[in-house]
Amino acid sequence: MVKVMVYPPTSMILSDLVERTGHEALVVSKEVRKKVNTAGLDSPPLNMTPEDPKKGLKYAAVDVPSGVRGRMSLLGPMIEEADAAIIIMNDRCTLGCTGCARTNELTRFLLRTKRIPILELDYPADELSARRFVHKIREFLEGLN
Amino acid sequence: MIRIAQLSCGPEYSGVQQELEKAAVMVGAELVFPEVSLDDVRNVEERFGIEVASGDLNLAMARATRIVENPDLADAVFVATCFRCAEGAIVRSELRKYIHENSRIPVLSYSFTERTTAETLLTRMEALVTTAKFKGLLSRERQTGLTAGIDSGSTTTKSVVMRDNEVIGTGWVPTTEVLKSAEAAYNAALESAGVTRGEIEGLGTTGYGRHLVGKEFGAKLIQEEITVNSKGAVFLADAQKGAATVIDIGGMDNKAISVQDGIPGTFTMGGICAGASGRFLELTSRRLGVDITELGKLALKGDHQKVPMNSYCIVFGTQSLVNSLSAGSRPEDVAMAACHSVAEQVFEQQLQEVEVKEPVIMVGGTALIEGLPRAMEQLLGLKVMVPDYAQYIGCVGASLLVSGLVED
Amino acid sequence: MKATKYVITGQDSDVLPSDIALKIYELGRDINVKETCFGVIIDGEEEDIEATVEDIRAMDESNIFIKDRGFPPGDPRRCRGHRGGGARPGFYMMQYESEILPLISRGPASEARGEEAPPKAESVKRPGLAELEEMIKEEFS
Repeated sequence: MVKVMVYPPTSMILSDLVERTGHEALVVSKEVRKKVNTAGLDSPPLNMTPEDPKKGLKYAAVDVPSGVRGRMSLLGPMIEEADAAIIIMNDRCTLGCTGCARTNELTRFLLRTKRIPILELDYPADELSARRFVHKIREFLEGLN
Repeated sequence: MIRIAQLSCGPEYSGVQQELEKAAVMVGAELVFPEVSLDDVRNVEERFGIEVASGDLNLAMARATRIVENPDLADAVFVATCFRCAEGAIVRSELRKYIHENSRIPVLSYSFTERTTAETLLTRMEALVTTAKFKGLLSRERQTGLTAGIDSGSTTTKSVVMRDNEVIGTGWVPTTEVLKSAEAAYNAALESAGVTRGEIEGLGTTGYGRHLVGKEFGAKLIQEEITVNSKGAVFLADAQKGAATVIDIGGMDNKAISVQDGIPGTFTMGGICAGASGRFLELTSRRLGVDITELGKLALKGDHQKVPMNSYCIVFGTQSLVNSLSAGSRPEDVAMAACHSVAEQVFEQQLQEVEVKEPVIMVGGTALIEGLPRAMEQLLGLKVMVPDYAQYIGCVGASLLVSGLVED
Repeated sequence: MKATKYVITGQDSDVLPSDIALKIYELGRDINVKETCFGVIIDGEEEDIEATVEDIRAMDESNIFIKDRGFPPGDPRRCRGHRGGGARPGFYMMQYESEILPLISRGPASEARGEEAPPKAESVKRPGLAELEEMIKEEFS
């Protein structure tokens, strides 16, 4: 069982296909869950405080906007845990945790430089490319064992 | 309850969303996120004119198109992106213009950091809500009856008494202890007007100390300075019809406000930067060994280009001036360089965020330092007017507006 | 810790959200179920949720997709009703991916049937400069 980070880290399709194969999908909603269930914190909506952009300094310098560093405080630990990754290159409608293009670029970069097995592909546009999509993912995930 | 639509990217992740909500609640408003569909976001290039790389900015632009189509969705708009994000700053500016040009909804634009607090936003939020809520009161053009205003500023406390649309008494003291200074300024104004406190029908307060002073003196109106100063400015400059731009450089901060038909619209407020306020001119005059009231006349005789300034910062800026003096520069040139530095900073920051339309009215105590309006004229390429009682615009505005409440 | 997941049924599925709810009640674990138009949201202790997920997926392997959710169901911090009408950002992503789900569903279905992997995509040949010049000449003549 391998920890596979999916990009976009909010993708239902990727996380489902990963878990279906018996691996653990690293998705940002799990990080959000930890945050919103933290007792004693009341900073809606995500229970994120000014401390989180400071934690993000690990991944981006102080002159990088706070929104990038805040998002990286959620995504960074996931990247560190990842043993493999699947990256969708033509992502769209990335909002919220994936709503910042600089954060997304940094995420993809950090995953690539980690020298873990990575599969890059596009969202399918028709049935044939969808079948190739699913097949490539299954092959990749089974190859991780 | 005033609904402020939030168009933003990043505050939840910077840990400041709670501060935004707090500021809204403090001014009797709530932040809302009007409905927008996936297709609105997908088609934002067509609907708004551009699609950018960051999804949350696209969502904000899509939301703006919805609000413009259906102005009932919100009473005001608050656009906020991370400080230092270029994409965010460009979109923010375009959003502000878009809402301003396509609707009558007031817009506030702000770039936050993780250190932004509700207190920082309070004055701006208050102004936004006032513009949304009190259109009726703000359209008032004449002062009636016998009313007064107190402007409890960070550096000076001012007061006026007005009767039948005329200023009949003024008072001006440096601010030491807020209430004592307010007492002194108010008494001076009453005395010069020849009336007693009991005769005053209504009092309005503004400035940093407005809540404290307002409560103590039983003011009928406690209002932030953006609304009140711009109102006072167009009143004194007789520019209540059509467009006008008010530039208010105070003792510690600065504001630029676009006014239309006597009602303040877009505004920006500079952060607390001493280099872009009267503080810098005060320091300069002390260094030159002249009284602040003489600095302006001195500056008019000078040429700022003869004194290079390396920084807008009050610390480094003053160092530049001192270096120039040691190198033999004339005090006149140094005085004008200081005025130019302050004007240029306001020009490059605040004046890029509002629509600058003539007449351009400069107010606040600093407007009396003649070199400053002259420097602003040079930068804008437009005539800058400084009305009578320019340092009293806050209390004049408050006195004018409170007379509207007295009538009711 | 409590966990929350979305169970989304693709358009081709014969399984209704109410069927899923029923199945969960049958399983008898301590799980809350909230039916929505696109499927259900389930919420309970992590172990119970993980155990239930496999049973639900078995109802229609190719057309049921399961995703984690950070917030518990109906949480006011992200609820439309409390925020002036707009959906939370995660919703749009789900909506976007839901549109591709019918295509994706057929993938696992074919795989399950043991069908051959589809041939590699032919790379699209770009016209050379000479060809492009010809096209321009033709169009503007």
